[in-house]
Amino acid sequence: METKYFGKRIQRNEDPRILTGQALFVDDVELPDMLHATFLRSDYPHARINSIDISAALARPGVIAVYTAKDMGDYWKPGPLLVPAPTAIPGVVFNKRTQVPMAREEIRHQGEPIAVVIAKSRYIAEDALADIVADLEPLDPVVDVEKALEPGSPLVYNDLGTNLASHVQQENGNYAAAAAQADVVIKAHIVIDRGIAGAMENRGLVVQWDPKSQHLTVWATTQAPIALRNGLSGILGLSESQVRVIAPFVGGGFGPKIMVFQPEEVVLTWASMKLGLPIKYIEDRQENFLAMTQERNQIHDAEIALTKDGKILGVKDVFVQDTGAFNSYALTVPLNTQTHTTGPYKVPNYYSEFRVAFTDRILVTPVRGAGRPYGVFVMERLMDLAAKKLGLDPTEIRRRNYLQPEEFPYRTGIIGQDFAKNILDSGNYPATLDKALEMIEYEQFIKEEQPKLRAQGKHVGIGVVTFTEGTGVGPYEGGRVTVEASGKVSVATGVGTQGQGHYTSFAQVVAEQLGVPVEDVRVVTGDTDQFHWGAGTFASRGATVAGNAIHAAASLVRAKILKLASKTLQVPEEDLVLENSEIHSATHPTTCIPLGELAVKANPSRGAVEPGAEPGLEATAYYGPPYGATAGGTVAMIVEVDTELMRVEIKRYVIAHDCGTVINPLIVDGQIHGGVSLGVGNSFFEKLVYDENGQLMNGTFMDYLIPRATDMPYIEIGHLSTPSPLNPLGIKGVGEAGAIPTPAAFAQAVENALADYNLEVREIPLSPNRLFELLEESKTS
Amino acid sequence: MKLEGEYLFNGPREEVWNIVRDPDVLATCIPGTQTLKQVNENEYEGAIGVRIGPVNAAFTGKLTVSDEIPPESCTLTAEGKGAAGFARGVGHVVLEEQGSDKTLLKYTGELIIGGKLMSVGQRLIDSVGKSMINKGFETLDKTLATRLAAKS
Repeated sequence: METKYFGKRIQRNEDPRILTGQALFVDDVELPDMLHATFLRSDYPHARINSIDISAALARPGVIAVYTAKDMGDYWKPGPLLVPAPTAIPGVVFNKRTQVPMAREEIRHQGEPIAVVIAKSRYIAEDALADIVADLEPLDPVVDVEKALEPGSPLVYNDLGTNLASHVQQENGNYAAAAAQADVVIKAHIVIDRGIAGAMENRGLVVQWDPKSQHLTVWATTQAPIALRNGLSGILGLSESQVRVIAPFVGGGFGPKIMVFQPEEVVLTWASMKLGLPIKYIEDRQENFLAMTQERNQIHDAEIALTKDGKILGVKDVFVQDTGAFNSYALTVPLNTQTHTTGPYKVPNYYSEFRVAFTDRILVTPVRGAGRPYGVFVMERLMDLAAKKLGLDPTEIRRRNYLQPEEFPYRTGIIGQDFAKNILDSGNYPATLDKALEMIEYEQFIKEEQPKLRAQGKHVGIGVVTFTEGTGVGPYEGGRVTVEASGKVSVATGVGTQGQGHYTSFAQVVAEQLGVPVEDVRVVTGDTDQFHWGAGTFASRGATVAGNAIHAAASLVRAKILKLASKTLQVPEEDLVLENSEIHSATHPTTCIPLGELAVKANPSRGAVEPGAEPGLEATAYYGPPYGATAGGTVAMIVEVDTELMRVEIKRYVIAHDCGTVINPLIVDGQIHGGVSLGVGNSFFEKLVYDENGQLMNGTFMDYLIPRATDMPYIEIGHLSTPSPLNPLGIKGVGEAGAIPTPAAFAQAVENALADYNLEVREIPLSPNRLFELLEESKTS
Repeated sequence: MKLEGEYLFNGPREEVWNIVRDPDVLATCIPGTQTLKQVNENEYEGAIGVRIGPVNAAFTGKLTVSDEIPPESCTLTAEGKGAAGFARGVGHVVLEEQGSDKTLLKYTGELIIGGKLMSVGQRLIDSVGKSMINKGFETLDKTLATRLAAKS
């Protein structure tokens, strides 16, 4: 289809405002008489609260209020489960323990809030924190996820009698029978450690209760403004129409900002209503390390059964997942791991079992990739081990096991995060492999370049992995499209935006339908007064789900335009053209009417209208997919390892990616770049280190390393397109694509570079130190 | 965190023991000590200020002496907390005679540190801790020399 705007590499509408500091972020909100809040957070991972004396803090000039959990009375209660437990899975065990507003009797992770100070300035509030005398009795912390499940371990919840939060077993086929017939069975023990999301903007909140209008306005860095409004109004006993949540420009979400009814939100909205004054809270970076949700810590025991010619007969994976002190986000992370492990391969027999443990650490919720990268890491490591054992080229063993393009839709039989048996809608994995190998010149590298460089003493290696990304899951999103009298178009949708370029990609979808320039389409996201139905921005679903809803609304508006223009211009609808913000006859272009003029005609100020007529050129529509659209791709990476300093340089990074129909290749490139940077971080830089007492040891960017620009490779992207049959636009998500395959490709490439040493990578994240240790171990083994 | 080390004092064991058990001397020799007062025979309370990298930490806490075998050994238990975190430590101190005028102090112990002090200052805790201990011993040794000089 010939398009003018859709699918074009168009610069982002929002960038001039963001880049020149003209965009509104939460911290830019300034209100008269606004107070400032800060939280006293526990230094102990596990402790009993004997008493908290706030009298000195209250006496400090400028302090307006100090509250502890006890001051909240009946308002204090554990928050709701944000994602339901997957009861669709037979035999699932799920022990619910959700986050509390502030710790009341017992502290269960370092950083858990125990008091809040509200003062005339943040400075005063911070000083007053030191005035609070908290008598805390340290208890034995539960730190190690495996030990947490052993008998005799200290307990995070005494009343539960166990640290087991969940137990899930799923099987498709019969792994044991398959393994019994296999020529080879290969096992691996794999450890995935913790990391943060590390958004540039930490969490922020401004709450304003206006006692006269009885209305609460909340500016929040949330990925789910509508869920936040609906939930807060319920918690506070207000009507939903009394609460407006605005998620303005947000400096990165990456998952944790999907968390709603966070302690700060629940406490400060309540406090604002009590005090009748607006309150601002901006999380600082040190707090972010201790208070924002994190991801990972999984320990896998995996195995793969194959025939001697490298055909997969079955895969078995048994793992433990650390959920931290709460499981408010239920099982999304381990379920994503479970559904993404087999990925692009045909695995006739698959057994997967996981146990989730409570520990005295920050709760685990999705971070970009959301469990998927670890399933991919486990599977790709198994494939690499199998290739080695069977003497096959790593790319060949993959090629022999891909699902073929004609096998879709493919049912894996495993229930995923949307509680339905997983179906891969479409894809062409062999094509992504071919494309990636061609781009990185695989044959030339392994046959000529690598031997040449090795002869010069250089440790260069290549890694090639294929992955899938379940994206665009339900339930639904909506959009409203309105043509204004100026001829410009406004669009509103419920999803929030944290930098994904929605203001441009959604505008392109509408511009294409209505024949207006992209910059004349003004998009509003994440303001519940503008649009108040929807679920939020997560699981790479914005473009797919909201994009299709907006497309549907724009199509309805287009139909209204054609109908009214046909009547006005006396030209049949099929002879009308919408372009350059006007409607004209295809054969007689001078017979035309500007779009704005038509919008005025559609909204007459006097006179009579036909029965059933709706005013204006406006429509609202919704879209909900039957199940998620599966994106995928292949990454090929060349690295060089400096065996003196143990630095790893990514010399080339190629990704052949398929996210169906692309709305804007520039934005897709940007999404991939961001994802790759997180993936590189998870491969070699980012690791939260705790000591045996549960104390975080690297809670600053001095010690917790995120990749810098100089650590990033130049990313070469090949776009392929297998449109999703599930939605009219054929879109699949791309938000997590770069993050998912990178650690697996990195591990393979590093191993290949150090082939002389017979070193095996069974963990992420690595670091120069850790790689040095592995190298030393390989020398002595 | 494990603590271990030794320091050679220029004085007889009895004298070294006496100054180690004198709170007024201890208050001058633990760097950053603002107050240290004896609350009963084996318990002291005090306040200390420590700077570790970017963290300026004021602590209030308690020091307890137990398992005393004068002038040979004792166990010290310290607990402190403040806005920047907390520290809890147990140390065992042994004094060995090295001839008639020298005493070797050996210590082993375990230190638990938490809060901002750990998450921000972790990289520097070790070196700051060692330097504090050494400075402390040097000051003690000087005090010891002054006392011995006054006696002779």
